[in-house]
Amino acid sequence: MNDKNANNNENEDKKTPLYDKHRNLGAKIVSFAGFSMPLYYKSIIDEHLNVRNNSGLFDISHMGEIIVKGKDAGIFLDYVLTADISSIFPNTITYSLVLNENGGVIDDLTIYKFSNESYMIVANAANTEKDFAWIHTQMLNLQKTKTDNGQYMFQNVTVENYSDKIGLLSVQGPKSRNIIYPLVEDISDNYGRSENNFCNIFNFQYNIKSLKELAHFEFSCVKFKEIEIEAVISRSGYTGEFGFEIFIDADNVGTLWDYILEHKELSNLLPVGLGARDTLRFEAALPLYGHELDETITPYDAGLEKYLSKNKDFIGKEALEKIKNKEKKLIFFKLAGKQIPRHLQRILDENLKPIGCVASGTYSPLNKMPIGSAYISDSNVTPSMLKNFYIDIRGNFEKAEVVMPPFHKIKK
Amino acid sequence: MADNSKFYFAKSHEWISLDSNNVYNLGISDFAQSELGDVVYVQLPEIGKQYKKDEKIGEIESVKSVSEIYAPADLTIKGVNSKLNETPELINNEPLGEGFIAKIELNNPSDLSSLMDKDSYESFVKSNHE
Repeated sequence: MNDKNANNNENEDKKTPLYDKHRNLGAKIVSFAGFSMPLYYKSIIDEHLNVRNNSGLFDISHMGEIIVKGKDAGIFLDYVLTADISSIFPNTITYSLVLNENGGVIDDLTIYKFSNESYMIVANAANTEKDFAWIHTQMLNLQKTKTDNGQYMFQNVTVENYSDKIGLLSVQGPKSRNIIYPLVEDISDNYGRSENNFCNIFNFQYNIKSLKELAHFEFSCVKFKEIEIEAVISRSGYTGEFGFEIFIDADNVGTLWDYILEHKELSNLLPVGLGARDTLRFEAALPLYGHELDETITPYDAGLEKYLSKNKDFIGKEALEKIKNKEKKLIFFKLAGKQIPRHLQRILDENLKPIGCVASGTYSPLNKMPIGSAYISDSNVTPSMLKNFYIDIRGNFEKAEVVMPPFHKIKK
Repeated sequence: MADNSKFYFAKSHEWISLDSNNVYNLGISDFAQSELGDVVYVQLPEIGKQYKKDEKIGEIESVKSVSEIYAPADLTIKGVNSKLNETPELINNEPLGEGFIAKIELNNPSDLSSLMDKDSYESFVKSNHE
């Protein structure tokens, strides 16, 4: 036996504060985005189904946090990112892309707005250094550029990489509230502003909603009972389920991880590795950078045009306006056979002519079948007309069928 | 002489064990299945076909990866475990039992001596993978 995907650069990899805890739980550790991360503890399928039915706890501390502050932070982010940033309500999140000048996607991000002068960008682990360098360079360039009326803009902005200082846990699944609500107390506007507490990093300025009032993509500052740890907690996630993402001081991640696991029976919670994180996000048809997105793919190709603001100028907008037609079209498909499609395998039409490539391919634990996404690069092909097509899985031509995502909502 | 409680392991993590007469069961080790994770598809070898040692006889696909199964010795496929078509997770649940992959005959029974017994295999895994 020979595992073709083995990736053992563990020695050079960074570790999250939970690395030893993952090992003690018996996790299979893999190298991902320069980090040694748990792929699964016991079973990707069991962990996946437990998130769909109950709840799961994820260590996603490898993800990046970049904090942007200052009087000009909002207009700066409006220019660097594609979505409207400065105009969203405080204590809410928006999804956005960051593009290069050609309109290619540098990364996809979520942005937390704490006030008009304080924002946090949450970045993919593999892209954090690249994103930080790009955003910081844009800031320096803009600060040196005189406007038409001889003014210098963007003078009051700071961009700081907090990725090593902030830990991130995610609790996902329909029963997540059964474990999070009892463990958390609202501290609303009484958080320890005068002390050196975690939420002070972000300069909240407006009324903070209580945890139970949070709608999707809203966040609050709370304290975990007994362990007395402050956290920024958002109603968000990457699974297609109800859930929370919890930002805390990196030094406290271990304590919070143990605290949540000690109460796992409240929601039948299991620790969940990156393997199920990927199958969950893919069933929910959420894009993953490196698969559905990269610098050669435009937001139109990926079907993400709704995140391109029409209200403002941003880097990459000019290039995108010159693009008349989509260069590639993203489709989702399922397979009748049992072999699993993998990234970059060829898509063949009914005459076995190559028309595109697999973006993501995996096994759907919920539907118990192989599923995938693909970019169709042949401009003559209309995805909705695609009837008989095949995936070239190591020389086997496996018949595929176009489906409308998300896969976890498909009625059987 | 081989007895049927005895397992013989290859460095590529397959095992064989005497079933009856000259027919052996072939499977993958507990270590191998734990490295693969949830098995969702097994491409079984062809019945009647002869394979040389180290030749690929099939594939095991888990949620995250694909692995090849190699012949641990020169052999002939006498049968396959067709239960794996419907329940490939048998490989995870009982890698040394119900999760066997094929029934084989050794072309040269003396090849057994080139394989490892359970203790040697376990120390081989320990020294190479920990």
